[in-house]
Amino acid sequence: MMNRLILSALLLGAATAAQAQQSATPAATVIAVPPLTSPDEGTKGNQMLAVGFQISQLIETDLKQTSELMPLPSRRDDYYSYPEVTAPSLYKWRTAHAKALLMGFVRSRSDGRLTVGCYVYDVEKGRELARKGFVIGPNDWRRAAHKCSGLAYTAITGAPGIFDSRIAYVAESGIGDARSRRVAMMDSDGYGHRYLTAGDTMVLTPRISPNGSQLAYVSFAEGKPSVRLADLDTNQQRPLVAGDAITFAPRYSTDGRRIVFSMMQGANSDIYVIGATGGIPQRLTTSPGVDTDPSFSPDGSKIVFESDRSGSQQLYVMNADGTGQRRISFGGGWYASPEWSPDGGMIAFTRRGQDGRRIGVVKPDGTGERVLTSGPSDEGASWAPSSRELLFQRVAATGRTALYRITLDGSEPRPITIPQDGSDPDWSGVMD
Amino acid sequence: MRRAILLFTAIAIASVAEAQLPFLSKRGPAQPVVQGIDALRADFAAQSGGTTVYFGNDSSILGVPARTMLTAQAAWLRRHPEVVVRVEGYGDTGDTRDHALAVGAKRAEEARAYLVLLGVPAAQVSTSSWGKERPGLGRAITVLVR
Repeated sequence: MMNRLILSALLLGAATAAQAQQSATPAATVIAVPPLTSPDEGTKGNQMLAVGFQISQLIETDLKQTSELMPLPSRRDDYYSYPEVTAPSLYKWRTAHAKALLMGFVRSRSDGRLTVGCYVYDVEKGRELARKGFVIGPNDWRRAAHKCSGLAYTAITGAPGIFDSRIAYVAESGIGDARSRRVAMMDSDGYGHRYLTAGDTMVLTPRISPNGSQLAYVSFAEGKPSVRLADLDTNQQRPLVAGDAITFAPRYSTDGRRIVFSMMQGANSDIYVIGATGGIPQRLTTSPGVDTDPSFSPDGSKIVFESDRSGSQQLYVMNADGTGQRRISFGGGWYASPEWSPDGGMIAFTRRGQDGRRIGVVKPDGTGERVLTSGPSDEGASWAPSSRELLFQRVAATGRTALYRITLDGSEPRPITIPQDGSDPDWSGVMD
Repeated sequence: MRRAILLFTAIAIASVAEAQLPFLSKRGPAQPVVQGIDALRADFAAQSGGTTVYFGNDSSILGVPARTMLTAQAAWLRRHPEVVVRVEGYGDTGDTRDHALAVGAKRAEEARAYLVLLGVPAAQVSTSSWGKERPGLGRAITVLVR
């Protein structure tokens, strides 16, 4: 009797907790993701249906990670025919309490590649929200799934999805002077992890170009830090600027055509801009202090950077030609490593104080500052394409360095799964 | 008592340092001996009183001990114009990555500028920075390259 009472009390407690969890995210839109269908027939048709099921399962996994969308389980017996893709029977999904529906098809092409189409419907209003079709290689079904996830996410939230994006970082192993560092890159869900440098040379701060074709990073191959550009298709490399100056802190403009970076001239570090395909670096700052970590606004008209010209590191915003420099951080402590959000509304930073280094965000006019992490050794914030999440690095008390992601809503940071220690994360935009 | 121990420790350290380099202090600059890079490095360190200068937190200002050592380094480098050195600066541990790189570079540049001021040909000295990426922060080391 007693046991039973406790059990029911526990159940009640669990139910309340579940309710509380649901009410904490009232905006989560329930979306049905039945398996993609196929117009193909016979054996080919069965193969395409299998691919379609894989795609819808990955879409389910993608959307589950968001706080805005709540996918219903993708079940194989939710089969629908090809004509239904453009004329879905919404009644079924209404009774399943779905607010949105993601349907699509996979069709084989004569050249061996696949055509994938995705359609997003508003179940209640009975209208189409978005559709997209694309051709992929036979083994690229994961990208197709990420693209469909992004289509649904954007159609419902209005923000870019993070699914078809990549993360670059510095993979670290070993200790002390023998610590080896390699540039590593992976899909944002951790798939397709690979190393881009050998580990015999120290590397820092990899940055993926907006179209994903190029990587800028700092290499010590010449005995001193200098920015190199690597073509990700051919792996051809070249220095960002000619000469033997120390260069570091590269970042692409959103259109990918310019790179801002720091260059030492004597004991002075200033900010320069150069074309991503070459040219002569143009100097943007002239203060005798350390000016570094520049980051373009998404429209390319402004640059946020850090400078210790006032005696301590602070954030400044200037026009992209170097004019109109003004300080935006006044919260006390030191501010460093700013990165402008992809939607333009926020700037992420690292704040240094007595309690260590923490990640925070502030509006470009200097108002609305919020510190998001507890430190004490956090740094290197990089925005997700959605502008709703950040990646950063955290050094534990043990000295291990790991990557974390944190949403702006104030929830706890979550570790990113990588094969070893990692630092200097960079979250790319959405791949085209 | 505490003072006595401290003094004793200091003497012990000093004698250890001397014991490690017994013959080098006798080797004068006038001896034109063909030397390997390791012997040159040892001689440079012994004659200059060390290869490393230290800085205050977030500072690239050369203090008196640093200037004294760099003066000795400059004298040695002027006697060995064939030797090329690189001053490698380090940042501070609590700093952020790129600011630490810049601070390390600044420290190296300040040390280099002082060597050049004391008559070392500019082409003989290059600079680099390790930022906070290697153990041993807050310093600049003069490394013999060749």
